Amino acid sequence: MKTLKHASIFTILMLLFSMNDAKAQAPKGDVLIQNATVLTITNGTLENTDILIEDGKIKNIGKDLRQPNNVTVIDAEGMFVMPGIIDAHSHIAGTSINEGTSQVTAEVSMEDVVNPMDVSIYRALAGGVTSIHLMHGSANVIGGQNETMKLRYGSTNPDDLRFEGAPRTIKFALGENPTRGGRRRGIQPQTRMGVEAMVRNSFNDAIKYREAWAAYNSNRSNRKMAPEYDLRMETLVDILEGEILVHCHSYRADEIYMLMRVFSDFGIDKLTFQHANEAYKVAPELAAFGASASIFSDWWAYKLEVYYSTAYNAAILTRNGVNTSINSDSGELIRHLFHEAAKSQKYGNLSDNEALRLITLNPAMQLGIDDHVGSIEVGKDGDIAIFDKHPLSTYAIPQMTFVDGVKYFDINTDEADQRIMIDPEASIEDVVIFNREDFDMCMHEESLVNFYELVNEEK
Amino acid sequence: MKLLRIFSFRLFVLLPFLMASTLVIAQSDPTGESPVTRTYAITKATIIPSPGAKIDSGTVIISDGVITAIGTNVTIPSHAEVIDGTDLWVYPGFIDGMSNTGANRPDPMERPDNLFTPDPPNDYAGITPHVSVITQLDITESSISSMRKLGFTVSHTIPHGRMLPGKSSLILLSDAEHVDHLILKKDVSTVSQFVGAPGAYPGNTLGIMAKWRNIYRNAELSKRNTELYASNPSGLSRPMNDRVSEAFYPVVEKAQPILFNASSLLEARRALQLQKEMGFNLMIGSLEQSWEIIDELDNNNVSVFLSLDIPEKPEENEDEDKSEEVANLEARRLEFYNRHMEQFAALKAAGIKFGFSTHGVTSSKIKKNIIALQEFGFDSTDALAALTTHPAQLLGIDAMTGTLETGKMGNALVATGPYFSSDSDVKMVFVNGDKYDFEIKESSSTTVSDEVASVLIGTWNYSLTTPEGEQTGKWIFTNETGELTGVFTSNDPSGPADTDMDNLNFANNSLSYEFAFDAGGQMLTVFVSGDIDGDTFVGTATIDAFNMSIPITATKGEPEQ
Amino acid sequence: MRSTKLLLTILVLLLSTTLSVAQNDIMRQARAEKFALTNAKIYTVTNGVIENGTIVISNGIIEAVGTDVSIPSDAIVIDYAGQEIYPGMIDSGTQLGLVEIGSIAEAQDIREFGDITPQMEALTAVNPNSEAIPVTRVSGVTTVITRPSGGVFPGTAATINLFGYTPDQMFAGSKGLVINFPSSGRRWRQTQEEADRARERALKTLNETWDKAELYAKIENSDEARYYPEMEALARVVKGEMKVYIEVNAAKDILSAIEWVQEKGLSDVVFTGVSEGWRVAEELAEAGIPVITGPVQSVPTRSSDAFDAAYKNPSVMQKAGIKVAIRTNDTENSRNLPYHAGFAAAYGMGREEALKAITINAAEIMGLEDQIGSIEVGKKANLFVATGDPFETSTQIIEVFIDGYQIPMTSRQIELYNEFLDRVPGLNKNPVTTDQ
Repeated sequence: MKTLKHASIFTILMLLFSMNDAKAQAPKGDVLIQNATVLTITNGTLENTDILIEDGKIKNIGKDLRQPNNVTVIDAEGMFVMPGIIDAHSHIAGTSINEGTSQVTAEVSMEDVVNPMDVSIYRALAGGVTSIHLMHGSANVIGGQNETMKLRYGSTNPDDLRFEGAPRTIKFALGENPTRGGRRRGIQPQTRMGVEAMVRNSFNDAIKYREAWAAYNSNRSNRKMAPEYDLRMETLVDILEGEILVHCHSYRADEIYMLMRVFSDFGIDKLTFQHANEAYKVAPELAAFGASASIFSDWWAYKLEVYYSTAYNAAILTRNGVNTSINSDSGELIRHLFHEAAKSQKYGNLSDNEALRLITLNPAMQLGIDDHVGSIEVGKDGDIAIFDKHPLSTYAIPQMTFVDGVKYFDINTDEADQRIMIDPEASIEDVVIFNREDFDMCMHEESLVNFYELVNEEK
Repeated sequence: MKLLRIFSFRLFVLLPFLMASTLVIAQSDPTGESPVTRTYAITKATIIPSPGAKIDSGTVIISDGVITAIGTNVTIPSHAEVIDGTDLWVYPGFIDGMSNTGANRPDPMERPDNLFTPDPPNDYAGITPHVSVITQLDITESSISSMRKLGFTVSHTIPHGRMLPGKSSLILLSDAEHVDHLILKKDVSTVSQFVGAPGAYPGNTLGIMAKWRNIYRNAELSKRNTELYASNPSGLSRPMNDRVSEAFYPVVEKAQPILFNASSLLEARRALQLQKEMGFNLMIGSLEQSWEIIDELDNNNVSVFLSLDIPEKPEENEDEDKSEEVANLEARRLEFYNRHMEQFAALKAAGIKFGFSTHGVTSSKIKKNIIALQEFGFDSTDALAALTTHPAQLLGIDAMTGTLETGKMGNALVATGPYFSSDSDVKMVFVNGDKYDFEIKESSSTTVSDEVASVLIGTWNYSLTTPEGEQTGKWIFTNETGELTGVFTSNDPSGPADTDMDNLNFANNSLSYEFAFDAGGQMLTVFVSGDIDGDTFVGTATIDAFNMSIPITATKGEPEQ
Repeated sequence: MRSTKLLLTILVLLLSTTLSVAQNDIMRQARAEKFALTNAKIYTVTNGVIENGTIVISNGIIEAVGTDVSIPSDAIVIDYAGQEIYPGMIDSGTQLGLVEIGSIAEAQDIREFGDITPQMEALTAVNPNSEAIPVTRVSGVTTVITRPSGGVFPGTAATINLFGYTPDQMFAGSKGLVINFPSSGRRWRQTQEEADRARERALKTLNETWDKAELYAKIENSDEARYYPEMEALARVVKGEMKVYIEVNAAKDILSAIEWVQEKGLSDVVFTGVSEGWRVAEELAEAGIPVITGPVQSVPTRSSDAFDAAYKNPSVMQKAGIKVAIRTNDTENSRNLPYHAGFAAAYGMGREEALKAITINAAEIMGLEDQIGSIEVGKKANLFVATGDPFETSTQIIEVFIDGYQIPMTSRQIELYNEFLDRVPGLNKNPVTTDQ
């Protein structure tokens, strides 16, 4: 029984091992999906269409494609095929979320804490998700760098989940979360004024740092003392030079506007606002700046700064020309992002394609990976989700999920226990009852050292 | 600052002690503890001089700390104390690949005022690679004798602390009069672990990884700057003195390895990642999950010390009509138990010579755990290698010790039978040629001594003075399975749940243990240590995560009604 | 072609938005008139589907339903041709009215201090002006159970209609005492040891308190009985005068709770939560205890469970013969009730049963089946008009009636949409006045 179930994972492991070492290569697959309704995102809906994926890439899209030798065929008649869903804000698959002990921690990176053995990865795959943006927490004004990942579940090696070619991104945070930390410790920032000052100070420090190293490197002789190396400043310099995309935790319109002003002053233009519950209020400004928003479909009222939210946020932003995505920020929501995106039809009548873009091409653009994923086009990665009904229907059930042409989820062979690392001393009857109250309680618990950083995070 | 004060205070305490010991010598031996001779002959014994070798009815001579002869045809010096080794088995003394043996946990630092500046003071952050474990060594530390009683004669001891607690040393597990006498080899490695500073940067793995890279790069720059300045200071501003960077110079030069205390698979991978980026020589100690990274360990020449903290065999539901789901889950759990157990043999099969680490393992479980591995393809010869020759090679002391050979140090253990079986006991241990005898109980195979049985076993009522008020509860010590186990309970319903004690040590009336509990989402480890006088215990409880140390007292007996 | 069509659609949409703004301007208050809703497809839930039907509402009550209905001359006639009418959805587990802002203690009245506070009345603390109430009701959820939490006996839950200006105007006529059954499952970030200890303590509290309550119930009317509000509240349950909602989730605990209920001889009992009901569905069915379960969109209780364990839970229980209602266990997003039901429908329950789980089943479980939960003559006019299947997100809810009141179809979220969709001023503030 068990061995059968884990056969697929084992096969993947074997693949990984066989290509082991020096540079671990992610497994790539070949598959021909036939007779599907293909939701391409960039080229409309194609009926009765085949998709050929070879060596992990989409090779061909069309009717009655020839079946190459040794390529698995999937008959998707009556099924809907869409690009793998991309979650631009996730915290699954991380062993730590926040280095919340300092207000500026640009140097830390989520890539150091990836946990490829989190069963939440499988559950996200079972919701059609193929890529996630594993984000640092929001306790710091300038938090850590995030990790863009492909959900290649089955490996215990974090490197196997790396999204090759994805640009670096970093988390910023405004508003209640970073100011709460300041208040508790008796340091800045304790207000939104202080948050702005801290961002500006950090960039100005980075400019000085860059100058010091430029002076050292120019006309370099052996008779010079090297300046101090500071990974924090190095990272900030990389932001100034446009090498790192900024994803900023934010809620209120004023703070969103503030950061755009600051970034204009420093000449930084790659900016996505995360959560951004009040982005709708400054939609024209966001559009003019070219900033993006990655938002919840309908979460609100869990704290003061999201009290004046509207579920029509996605629609207002889209209508105003702001690139918008819907994210999960949750191990639960990530399992039905297709449904979360569909809510934009209730709240503002987005078209099917506009709604699907919220979880495919738009987040791909926000993460700088739209050359690889986000739509079904020849040359893009074979990251595909297959549904039995139109994915914007509440009744749609994900059937199969492919990453690089390799099938990681198939509802026909799905079995319960998908863990790949088990604590031999844990009870087999380990029941966790998630209580909504626990979630709310942790928002104002302050009795323990580090409690906030450890527990709160996110939202 | 405070740390420094503690160290100088210790030195100050030691001075009169040194003088006193001189006086003791002048007084001859009123306690009757001094040996008559330092030459010992163990005769007619079964000798295992090294893994896989065996001498029947042989003799070992240890004289003035050195093995002077070994074999079947050995002349016994006239001045030797002769030990009849009939039915006894003699092994090389064991080497512990990584532990805190002999090191005292320093008192928590005072919380500095400038804790929330971008970087807190290095001492508080736990960045003290320049500190030697020697500053934490304590000749009265109970772990020295409890480990020695198991046959260990040398420990690779790492300092207590956080991210970069300091330099490790190899120490002899002897009753020394002075800390210096314990030291076999100084500054063996620079130790690192994934332990964050309480409420300050680096607070967890995220900060630790980044800080690591920062420290290493700066050490490289600092080394270059310092060398440049030393070659000719003219026209250069003097590089600032930087103890942290300096401590990394030997690491940068690959003259000293980094020893990562990394138990999980992901921690070990992070250590490997840092090695990949920086290129230092790497040791990994306390490793519990090695099976997925055998190739990486091998290819990168990592010195491995596998943890002896192996899982308990999971109990299966005996119910006849248990559900298929339960049966499946049990099977999967067993599969992972087996992976844990089989990794020892798997590493061996891959040709990796590894040692053991007892870091964080309750001493009474060590022998039992080693024996448990025999069922999983890791036999007594393998175990002996992991306890002697392999760690000796990995730690660079194989010329000195690790086998019973003429000319090597007099480190040996004498057991009442084959060591790697549950019914043998350690009868005596030689450390650097000094003999330590242990009482053997004839009737049972228990490893619990009379001292433990009479003094410790039973229920103790403790009282802990926390900032929130007094906490009370019970410690329950038992030896039912022949090993010492303890449970920590709390009388306060909101206090920690009943918790098994870990790293439990008791010797010379000195007790220490630790336990972990979940304080509303944060796992806290509490270290308790102190001394027992009759029915009274006086000591301290330390919670590193809160940077706090509080008095704890206990009395033996049933609770008052 | 495609783009012109799209443009056209957008124009139409914009136009319809403007229309709804205009309508909202007119209708700032609810109104209770005699209404005739005509030409609609009516999902009665209890009597099938009526095509081209008419509903007459008078004095807050459904006066007539059917295809052959005479429309009173004084009725306001609204033509709903092409639209569908459903009974108001019932969310049988929320904190609506009790929690305004999640992270702010001052904005929450959900958990009184103490383990034993059965006399606490959720209805007392319901804020009829909570922003979440209009947000919820314009989505077609007309009635909810709002319940206190925390401790073993957190208080008494009440069923409220989402319209009214005092708690009494909102009260729908059903209350139930809440018991949090001692849980062997861990809560978030709790260790198993802690959970076990908490369970033992709670079990002790539960049983000791119950024994006292039984004694109190016996002597309540004697002169010796002291004023003891906690026991008074519990005595009503002991005597079978009040319903009891028992929150229980882990399979093991569900079995213990069944045993406990039988041992105490309780009959008017509802189990709530019941996350692992699918594991013990047969036993639950045999015990004949109805269930309020949810949220359906939630992660499985065990890391070894199938990804869809929670989605399938309502279906498995319903198929085993258990009467199942679905709740969101939410506050500000109780509006997602139809989607929780929709997921249950997709994962085995089917649309019809899932609809029942948020209408008539909920009403029956609360003992309000003669008043709400279906479109039937004589029942309260709690209903909504939709452009299609309310489980689908593409469907719009266009009208809501609660207690016969036509509700203004607005909420702060809609007002913000109207204000900001095409913000004035836009990017530039300089006023530009055009000659008329």
